[in-house]
Amino acid sequence: MAEAAITVQGLIKRYGPTTAVNGIDLEVRKGEIFGLLGPNGAGKTTTLECLEGIRKADGGRMTVDGCNPQSDGKELRRRLGVQLQSSSLPDTMHADEAMSLVCAWHGLQPRFDLLRGFGLETSLKKQYHALSTGQKRRLHLALALAGGPAVVVLDEPTAGLDVQGRAQLHDAIRALKAEGITILLATHDMAEAETLCDRLAIMIHGNVAAVGTPVQVTAAGHGETRIIVRTMNGSLLPGLSMGSARFTKASEGYGEWMCSDAAAGVIDLLRKVQTAGDTVEDLRVERPSLEERFLELVEGGEHK
Amino acid sequence: MNAFLLHLWVQFRMDARERGTLLTFYAVPLTFFVVMGAVFSSINPTTKETLAASMSIFAVTMGAVLGAPIPLVKMRESGVLRAYRVSGIPSRAVLLIQEVSAFFHLLLVSAIIFVTAPLLFGADLPRDYTGYFIILLIYIFASIALGLLIGVTARSQSMATMLSQAVFLPSLLLSGIMFPASLLPRPLLWLGRIFPATHAMQSFSVLAYHLKANYSGASALGITAGIGILATAIAVWRFEAAGREELG
Repeated sequence: MAEAAITVQGLIKRYGPTTAVNGIDLEVRKGEIFGLLGPNGAGKTTTLECLEGIRKADGGRMTVDGCNPQSDGKELRRRLGVQLQSSSLPDTMHADEAMSLVCAWHGLQPRFDLLRGFGLETSLKKQYHALSTGQKRRLHLALALAGGPAVVVLDEPTAGLDVQGRAQLHDAIRALKAEGITILLATHDMAEAETLCDRLAIMIHGNVAAVGTPVQVTAAGHGETRIIVRTMNGSLLPGLSMGSARFTKASEGYGEWMCSDAAAGVIDLLRKVQTAGDTVEDLRVERPSLEERFLELVEGGEHK
Repeated sequence: MNAFLLHLWVQFRMDARERGTLLTFYAVPLTFFVVMGAVFSSINPTTKETLAASMSIFAVTMGAVLGAPIPLVKMRESGVLRAYRVSGIPSRAVLLIQEVSAFFHLLLVSAIIFVTAPLLFGADLPRDYTGYFIILLIYIFASIALGLLIGVTARSQSMATMLSQAVFLPSLLLSGIMFPASLLPRPLLWLGRIFPATHAMQSFSVLAYHLKANYSGASALGITAGIGILATAIAVWRFEAAGREELG
């Protein structure tokens, strides 16, 4: 198993009588993209802020690339790049000035190559307020990488971006992973988490409700798999429930069945087609999405 | 280049692009100086004796007390300070850079007033140039310290504006820069002594222009410096405390 880049053991954070993070354990492996999901107020941002060293924990232990974020502030800044959820720069600061400053405070030469790499080559002399939301996000990501960190924390990096901006940022995040950088990504976007993350954790009410690969987390739920089939002679229609597959609807020659055991359901349907001497034209198996699993966990958590 | 100096240089460049900074540090004080200089010197020729000093006190008070706090509050509100912090830029350095850049602007505008007041309005030159500039430097320091204190204390921009006005208007009206403080009723005369502008005006009169004043120029200068040191200490303490609150 890969070495851990981030470890969290028994992290507790309270705000007055409210417990925002309730003794969670997490491990992020080196070189992976790890997603942190959860509804608003689940404790994601608080967890990230404790890891970033900008919020003091009330209990537990943490390491980020070997440093203690609560006590090794200077060393942490070299090893950890951070893109905050609500990040900003002075309105009149140019993009290249921001890069020069951050690099100077790290004792490095300016990394204008990072700005060019993130498609900001024509915006180097633009004032911050004149940048688009997507350009601002990419600038902050470039600044987070300026010190050459081993770990990067991204808090809602694509919030408010259009489809193109989101795709560009996803490419940038994948490129970072390809360079071996560990990424901890907090997001509300389930599709983003499903496509980008190697593993993820879902936080609810300050606790970790699920952790694993997107497939593992999804498969652990009670959601049913949808099987959609169209045959040459329409032998499956009008639809009947058979074996483990429950017929739900028919439309334009397609029939739809739901089942909790996907493999058994497919076998049952194919057997029926074969028995009827028919041929399958199209077959789709749709597992429950991460979003469905997320909602199942959140609603379950709220009922508790 | 050293990170601090580079940051300071970038700050100057940003200030030059920022309309609000140009207005509060240069345009409004210099316009006021030109208009009021003409009015004062025509209706009461004795104001020429200390015109450069009184107009410098106005310009410095306006820039430091009205101009300096808002950028600090904005940086805190908009998340700039946090973004700096996670990027490895120390918060104390940001505070110091704000102070040094404001100091530079206020020194420049005061120098413009010092040079042009005799040319435009026949204002008297000080008897003691060294004394004049020492008082000016100490007054700029004290005023910026008050501005920073407002900037780190106010929780919002509207609160900062109210606090700034609460310092700026009495400084303007009770310090003797608009009209002789001796004309004020006694309670207001004493109220005026809370503000460093009053003591700076006394210091300029006695130590730089060798005029008579209500009390010792050296004491007045000491009080001005004391207010600056106290305000700086409280501002730094509040700033650090705010940082700890965020950490806690």
